[in-house]
Amino acid sequence: MSEKANRSGPDGGPVESESGEPDVDTGERHPMEWNEPAGNNVAPEDRSFITEPVEKYDARKIVTGEAKYTSDYRREFPDLLETAVLRSDVAHAHVTEIDTSGAEEMDGVHAVLTPDSEIVPDTVYTSAGQGYPEPTPWDLRVLRKKVRMVGDPIVAVAAEDKRTAERAVRKISVEYDELEPVLDFREAMDPEAPQIHEAAAIENKQPGADYEINRQSSFDGEIGDVESAFDSSNSVLETEWETPYQSHCVPEPHTTIAKRDEDDRYHLISSTQVPYHTRRQLSHLFDIPIRDIRIEKPRIGAGFGSKQAMVIEPITLALTMATDRPVIYETTRKEQFHAMRSRHPMQITMKTAVDDSGNLEAMEMDVLSNTGAYGPHGMTVAGNVGTKPLPIYPRVENVRFAGDIVHTNLPIAAAQRGYGAPQGHFAVESHMDEVARDQDLDPIEFRKQNHVQEGDLDEIAAILAGDEAHKRKIRSCGMEECIDRGREAIGYDDLEQPEEEHLHRGIGLALVAQGSGVAGAELGAAHIKMNEDGSFILQVGGVDTGTGTDTMVSQIASEVLGCDPEDIVVYSSDTDISPFDYGAYASSTTYISGQSVKKAAEDAKESLLGWGAKMLDAEPETLTVQDGNVHDTESGESVSLEDIGYEAHYGEDDRAQVMGEASHSTDTSPPPFGAQYVDVTVNENTGEYEINQLVFAADLGVAINPPLAEGQIEGGQSMSLELATGAGYEFTDEGQPKTLSYKQYGMPRSTDHPPMETILVETHEPSGPFGAKSVAELPTNGVPPALSNAIKDATGVRLTTLPITAEKVKAALESRD
Amino acid sequence: MDLELTINGRQQTLDAEPADSLLDVLRDNGYTGAKRGCDTGDCGYCTVIVDDDPVQSCVTPAKKADGATVETIESLGEQEDLHPVQAAFVDNSALQCGFCIPGMIMNTTAALRENPDPTEAEAREAIEPVLCRCTGHKKPVEAVLDAADRIDSAEELAHDGGHAAAELDDKDGESQ
Repeated sequence: MSEKANRSGPDGGPVESESGEPDVDTGERHPMEWNEPAGNNVAPEDRSFITEPVEKYDARKIVTGEAKYTSDYRREFPDLLETAVLRSDVAHAHVTEIDTSGAEEMDGVHAVLTPDSEIVPDTVYTSAGQGYPEPTPWDLRVLRKKVRMVGDPIVAVAAEDKRTAERAVRKISVEYDELEPVLDFREAMDPEAPQIHEAAAIENKQPGADYEINRQSSFDGEIGDVESAFDSSNSVLETEWETPYQSHCVPEPHTTIAKRDEDDRYHLISSTQVPYHTRRQLSHLFDIPIRDIRIEKPRIGAGFGSKQAMVIEPITLALTMATDRPVIYETTRKEQFHAMRSRHPMQITMKTAVDDSGNLEAMEMDVLSNTGAYGPHGMTVAGNVGTKPLPIYPRVENVRFAGDIVHTNLPIAAAQRGYGAPQGHFAVESHMDEVARDQDLDPIEFRKQNHVQEGDLDEIAAILAGDEAHKRKIRSCGMEECIDRGREAIGYDDLEQPEEEHLHRGIGLALVAQGSGVAGAELGAAHIKMNEDGSFILQVGGVDTGTGTDTMVSQIASEVLGCDPEDIVVYSSDTDISPFDYGAYASSTTYISGQSVKKAAEDAKESLLGWGAKMLDAEPETLTVQDGNVHDTESGESVSLEDIGYEAHYGEDDRAQVMGEASHSTDTSPPPFGAQYVDVTVNENTGEYEINQLVFAADLGVAINPPLAEGQIEGGQSMSLELATGAGYEFTDEGQPKTLSYKQYGMPRSTDHPPMETILVETHEPSGPFGAKSVAELPTNGVPPALSNAIKDATGVRLTTLPITAEKVKAALESRD
Repeated sequence: MDLELTINGRQQTLDAEPADSLLDVLRDNGYTGAKRGCDTGDCGYCTVIVDDDPVQSCVTPAKKADGATVETIESLGEQEDLHPVQAAFVDNSALQCGFCIPGMIMNTTAALRENPDPTEAEAREAIEPVLCRCTGHKKPVEAVLDAADRIDSAEELAHDGGHAAAELDDKDGESQ
């Protein structure tokens, strides 16, 4: 990237001041004054490829079955060994004896690794795929002698085939010294509760950690003076909310292939959202230099956060090191449900004060989060419970947000699409509905009076960071239009009641917000090079988890370079080949990785126009690039990208490849906004309810590919619908999981789905690539509160715990009557 | 044990273990379009058409399929010459991660042979066996309905000596 581009602040973020010190915004200078780079705001009629429904980059290989996911690489490794893992069948115990002799005697068994095997590191680490050092304690070991949940890995076997590996596991016997488990997270901090972790065994502890009371971390942040505001207010309301475990139900179970290559380096093909973090974490764990590890991400069968985690790579690598053979570990659906990762169950208290005119004066939120047996993402997920939904009301002057993250002997909770925001929105947006009704205000009008607007300074996003850098000016906000257009689409103002007396219909609204990347903790990089024929190869670290980001980056690059998206070959992600990227999480890929692609393409364009100027005998300033040609606006002459490509590679006197590269990082994370509406009919006799329609109106800034953005919204709502109506795991009194299959879990099928309507409200985010913000997580936030509000609207009863079942509705109706 | 199967029109004798599922045999022999998502017959990603019926190959014992005719996703179109069902999924943006898509397409293909003109509710039922986590099933349902229209048009084309070709070409033009 050129020096000039750097100084003009093309990220819309802080620019360098004269002194060379970073000129971080402190609220004194209006960040809207940051210069938006020329050409970032393209009028709809001037767009070539952005906002067009460009065909998904990998669509054709997917529909022909040729797309290759990790397990499809099996046939490329004829000497591949298969893995099976013996996992703890008790919730809390010390392992006292492991007898592996029966397994080791078996034909076809090549390695049986226990926690005491020399090749298995005894180092502690975290599975959380986050920046360095991770805001997560290092509390995991590859194989475990102290087990803290049913599903903890104890022994790993590599064998000629999967059945032999599984048979070998059945021949291993383990003896336990069982301990009392902690199964109710509300009692985890009770001084009498059994202690799950020894503090001395954990590294990289997080603020507020107190392992004697099973607390992984805690936080408390305040703006203004909440107590005084409550004391002086005439109208204070406090409510309590509860949310359950949710499975990612990720279609492709976690799968990893590891091998040592001919250069004596370790090469992993893995279903991961975070190839670079995984490389660094494996290096730390196994004490192998980073340069000797290569992580390749093929197509992956989605992530939803489940693969923002180094879950099975360590076991696979250890087995490869033990056998010096390529090894695959393909997890089972049963392992997915109890031994991988889930959404955190939470208990949340909301308290607000409102003045006589319906203005919010104070908000207080307290969260208790169950991180399960280990703590990956524990603190940061709980932080998002407040810092994502509370900024919907950024003008509230007194805000307090506190949380405790506690351990239990239940499955590990970690990153899941929404990352705490779905739990937070359930509390905030159901609570706001209660406040409105308490004030005799229409819930929509109450929201309109208080919700975020363009130009607001949001300090709440920084409430835990406690610094100036994390405050943000809201530079794009279409919330008002989202509310209005959603209201129209759902028919809020002309709702017809069913004729039957026992049926009651109602509509609920929830406002939603998310971020675009992690403020101040992201880096995306991209490299683009032109071939002789005027086509390009774009290498980008940003990870396509199936969402379509490879398509999105091809549209951004082609918009800059004036070529067809089909002329851009996208390569992501391989740590040997693609530039660095933090990975696909926190709704960062369009905003962060996409911006790095835009900057890299602009860098290449500068070189392209240089060649154009030379060949057209023109000044670069008079040139434009469009439709595969560089045009001289002065002379009217053109030269094709192909002609430039051949000249650049094979010219007589001067030769240089047209290339561009750039990194992108920023302290800002602009929120996308949305309005979720639910239309429900409740049967007063049975408590059964039917959702008639879901409407979601979204402000994503500029949607680079509208149909793919709609797909994100529809799929996100589907996960949100499940959290509202059906999620949750069941356990026995001993902590044995009872939810181990799709059937037992009950993920929604096509026939369970209400009709959905999606509305894209375009705004322009000056700091985003061509005005884009994020989309992926926003729609996971709204259905639980909107459904609770719709049932309240229909029947007058309030449902405060998820999932909302007919039994719970019936019980609430009975206690009302 | 030896297994006689006609896979995508080709008669083959394949080696199988007694405990193998049909999915194991297919994937071991390079038919990797069918995906393994659960091994319990719940997710539908492994769906193939056996003797005209869509079956979940992960819970179909290989020996039970001996002598059967099997159609997998590999039997449909190619990237530059897609089958109408495949084209409908592409053009309706009805796919994201793609792991469930071979199952979606095989269920749709079998359903449309039985019922070429499904209602919206019947289209939902056609893909009911497949647990798609990415799309919320909305665009896939639209793709099933669109696929039915495309097959209809293709049949008209076959019966009218190609006069409807121009119309079909227009439809293809929408794919960008």
